[in-house]
Amino acid sequence: MTTIQTFAGLGLGLRRSHYHDFLEGEVAVDFLEIISENYMVAGGKPRDVLSRVRERYPVAMHGVSLSIGSAHGLDADYLRRLRELADWLDPLWVSDHLCWTRTSAHNSHDLLPLPYTRAALDVVCDNIDRAQQAMGRAMLFENPSSYCAFPGNEMEEWEFIAAMARRTGCYLLLDVNNVFVSAHNHGFSARDYIAGLPLERVRQVHLAGHTPGEIVIDTHDREICDGVWRLFAEVSDMLGDAAVMIERDDAIPPLAELLAELDIARAMQQAGAKVAA
Amino acid sequence: MSAQAELAAQQAEFMAHVMADALALPSGWNARFASGLDIYRNAYRTRLVEALRDTFPRTVQWVGDEAFAAAAAHHLITTPPSSWTLDHAGLGFPEVLGELFANDPEVPELAWLEWAMHTAFVAADAAPLTRERFVAATAGFAGEDWAEMRLIFQPAVQTCSVAHDIAKLWNALKQDEAVGDYTLAQPGGLVVWREGLSPVFRMADRTDAEALALLQSGASYGEACSLLADRLGPEEAAALAGSLLGQWLADGLLVGVSV
Repeated sequence: MTTIQTFAGLGLGLRRSHYHDFLEGEVAVDFLEIISENYMVAGGKPRDVLSRVRERYPVAMHGVSLSIGSAHGLDADYLRRLRELADWLDPLWVSDHLCWTRTSAHNSHDLLPLPYTRAALDVVCDNIDRAQQAMGRAMLFENPSSYCAFPGNEMEEWEFIAAMARRTGCYLLLDVNNVFVSAHNHGFSARDYIAGLPLERVRQVHLAGHTPGEIVIDTHDREICDGVWRLFAEVSDMLGDAAVMIERDDAIPPLAELLAELDIARAMQQAGAKVAA
Repeated sequence: MSAQAELAAQQAEFMAHVMADALALPSGWNARFASGLDIYRNAYRTRLVEALRDTFPRTVQWVGDEAFAAAAAHHLITTPPSSWTLDHAGLGFPEVLGELFANDPEVPELAWLEWAMHTAFVAADAAPLTRERFVAATAGFAGEDWAEMRLIFQPAVQTCSVAHDIAKLWNALKQDEAVGDYTLAQPGGLVVWREGLSPVFRMADRTDAEALALLQSGASYGEACSLLADRLGPEEAAALAGSLLGQWLADGLLVGVSV
């Protein structure tokens, strides 16, 4: 499978309310990430905006509907459209989540948790092989956040991800917030989780906000909390030249607020690099 | 049991609990698991109802939030989502509204317009056929070529027969001034298309919408003229056919012609 080169940049998600900023202004980001499905359309404004954004910024594709953990395999029409978009856009890389979204009959439009069993690992690896073959490129898969764990799990989530990357040659998108959320919800150590991952396969990092509670919910609707920042600060020097991005999907603030958060990430990266040196 | 079958069984069970209330938890699923499952179940409903609200804002405004939410929940149960994109959640929803609001037939017509505008927004791009290009394309036509001519419309074009002045209702809702009865004196039509990147619509005469729909289905210009002749007589039909063609060209609905 193809190699994905590192891209040591800091970026933001491309959201509608910021279209004008990115098309008309000079925004201090190294790359933008799109939600792939929003642009897997025949034409119109979304594709027009994206073509103009692409002239100004490198773009990473991040999907939510591949359903790589689906027992019923992959949706051929979806893959064809994803490939068409990737061929047209020439992105830095194409990512999705380690999760499942649908059965053969219905789509939940949510990132549902997988059982971490050898059977599920076999299915996921077969699906990743097929997806990477169909895309003609290696892909990144993001560690999920989850609110319940299947009884009968045979391995830890990070062991599942490490085995998946080893068997398929895929790369990883490390969502630090998801590690924080799931560590709280399932009672594991976030540090153990990250230490158990093959970090040399990480090409991108997500930072985001969540809703606290007895069960923490991954809402992406607020600023990044101190706990997530602390976790990122602890691991940033271990992530090499992975690209880092702030992921906000709801209650989207003015761009300046997200750029200020990106400055914090930049400062932490630089501090981490100094410590490592 | 194969890996695929084992996982398929787990996912089918999990999905059933996401989509429905009050199913007994299988053995091994404890209260903590049930709490987590509640979050997925609530998110599923909220996300889909919100997607419908975003796609049909004027319908929400017209029928009221509570009635819309009930209709959306009904749609979700009777037509659970199967497409890979949430953008398709509204497919079939105007028809569902037609059943639920049988005494308010303007509701499905308004929803049809919102759905048509939604889909036109992301329809394939196509350069409109200018009047000059149309003249050039048809310059060599012999008499029978006109009857055999097929019109090629931009992919965003959609038509619908309506019994209400949906344009007037649409604009009144925009001004938050919608009240009363919008029934048309004569049945009419709606035409949706895209001007550049912007979806647009206009009310149309019934014959305009029906002729356009017939031509879109692949019928020839001659067959559309026959439809008009059946309704209006040959002389008036010929004049109207030319007038409609001019209107469609001026609107930018056409992208080409073929014989």
